[in-house]
Amino acid sequence: MYMFVLSQFRFLFAVFCLTAILIFAVYLRDANNRIVYELCRYRADVSQLKQELGAKQLQLESLINPAAISQRLNEFNSDD
Amino acid sequence: MKNARIAIFFLILLIVSFGLLAARCFYLQYYKNDHYTELCLTQQKSLQLWQPQRGVILDAKGRVLAASNRKKIIFAEPRAIEDVKETSSELAPILDIGAHEICRKILEGGNPGFVRIKQDADVLQCSAAVRIKGIGTQTDWQRSYPTGGLFGNIIGFTSRDNRGLEGIELQYDKELSGSGVENVFYADVRRRPICLKEQNGTLADGVGIIMTLDATIQQIARDELQKQYKDFEAESAMAIVAEPKTGAILAMVSIPDFDPGNLQSSEADSRRNRAITDPFEPGSMIKPIVVAIAVDNGTVRKDEKVFCENGNYSGKGFGRINEYRNHRFGDLSIREVLVKSSNIGMAKIGQKMGQEKLYDGLKLFGFGEKVGIELPGEVEGLLRPTSRWSSYSVTRIPYGYELNVTAMQMLQAYCILANGGRMVRPYLVKAVVDNNGEIAQIKRPVPPVGYIIKREVAEWIVQDCLVGVVNEKNNGGTGWRAKLDKWQVFGKTGTANISRIGQRGYEDNSNIASFVAGAPAEDPAIVVFVSVRRPNGRLGKGDSGGAVASPVAGKIIEKTLTYLEKRF
Repeated sequence: MYMFVLSQFRFLFAVFCLTAILIFAVYLRDANNRIVYELCRYRADVSQLKQELGAKQLQLESLINPAAISQRLNEFNSDD
Repeated sequence: MKNARIAIFFLILLIVSFGLLAARCFYLQYYKNDHYTELCLTQQKSLQLWQPQRGVILDAKGRVLAASNRKKIIFAEPRAIEDVKETSSELAPILDIGAHEICRKILEGGNPGFVRIKQDADVLQCSAAVRIKGIGTQTDWQRSYPTGGLFGNIIGFTSRDNRGLEGIELQYDKELSGSGVENVFYADVRRRPICLKEQNGTLADGVGIIMTLDATIQQIARDELQKQYKDFEAESAMAIVAEPKTGAILAMVSIPDFDPGNLQSSEADSRRNRAITDPFEPGSMIKPIVVAIAVDNGTVRKDEKVFCENGNYSGKGFGRINEYRNHRFGDLSIREVLVKSSNIGMAKIGQKMGQEKLYDGLKLFGFGEKVGIELPGEVEGLLRPTSRWSSYSVTRIPYGYELNVTAMQMLQAYCILANGGRMVRPYLVKAVVDNNGEIAQIKRPVPPVGYIIKREVAEWIVQDCLVGVVNEKNNGGTGWRAKLDKWQVFGKTGTANISRIGQRGYEDNSNIASFVAGAPAEDPAIVVFVSVRRPNGRLGKGDSGGAVASPVAGKIIEKTLTYLEKRF
């Protein structure tokens, strides 16, 4: 009857592989977390930039709308 | 023996204790299971509401009239602050606000859980502020109205929790609001979310609304009206500009107005949109409508003459009727009755037409019922059924008394005349756009089929009679101040007394000066309604529709048509 006996080298190789797989799994999990974090951060940044853009647009609208222009023209004419 | 007894006693005690514990466990697990499960879940759960962004409101050219933006708020929780002075001193350099000011806000805030310290804070300020005990941040939507008071009476405003309370904001609240999400989290002991348990609803931002209004035309109308309102020390004033062919409202001004972004400084009275909420007796403005009805149903012919009794008409059952400014007219053609604005001529046309035809005609023009404009608070005006008419009514209604109309109803009636007698429904909202900017719904009402009056009658009234009112000063035309060189303007003045509240009769020296006009007469592009309430006649500048309202309408027409010409 054939019996499978691990040599010392094979045993070390198996332990090494197992450890490598474990380290790789941990790395993958960490990378996954990091990427999700980056994604969320970029999303938050985009949202923040959109809000800032919206605020700037509203500021601009309040400066260039016909009522504001008319008011400034009146002030300008009265200064003259 | 004694030890054995003690051992048995403790054994029994142990068994009884375990028995009691088991019973208690059974009681808690079996009978109180639901109660403690619920208690446990409530303790574990933390709710977080995600509010959607409220939809934007744009004018016809895409200018922003109302929009929401996220603002970061820094707040204090007074019950969690041990030393208010120390907290204020720590916070002051971060927010660049005086420590005493922060201290005052916290102490006078009133709410032990929330005192707003700074609105619209930046990210750095927020991250520094939250490190201080008792200080927190939150983001909230804030509604902005970049055009200030220009559209206040139409757009309306929202509450602090972003619900529409007035105007378009209220009328389209459901569409503008969108739908929020309620996230249920498992929370730790400090109520911080650990992981999502369930999500109720779907986050959908509110849709956008595109109005038919044009901010430039609105500003033109507001500027001109405001000048006259101040010059004549009037109580209030309103103006509407519309496209007669489509019914699209290009401008709608009601003065006094208010800035929806600064509600605290406005009075409740100034928040009303008078064009749809304030009915009034129209005076002579109704005359072209009545003449159109009379000519259309064959009561009078265009070339017929009416004897105007030399300015004094009286009879049994309808009292005495005089002309405005005590004019004494003899024989007048139907056209002259309109150009010279004869009350007696109109009373006679009313008598000849009879109650039923007059009532039916006015109903067809939309008086006595809501126009159906997309704004809350519209009133129907007052056109009583003929069963409630007195013997005076048939002689008074033809020159604008004993009925109440809104500015919008009057504008609609003139749009019908300018549109060749075809029905027109005024509208304010052009389209609804989704979150990607695509048009989701066209809101223009389907134009009703059919004519209210014959085309040739409407054209005769507009292109002949009403052109005469504006262009024939020497023939007694009352609207000559609205005459323009470049375009042929048509229009009709109206000067109506104001009835006493709760009493019979009319107030002395108080009136509503109005003017409805349009241009160009051969193919009207716009119709303008202007009305000024209680102009001060003692200033010596006049207080009639011709003196007060017609110059404003003329200027609005001139500037608007110039603007529309340059637009294409």
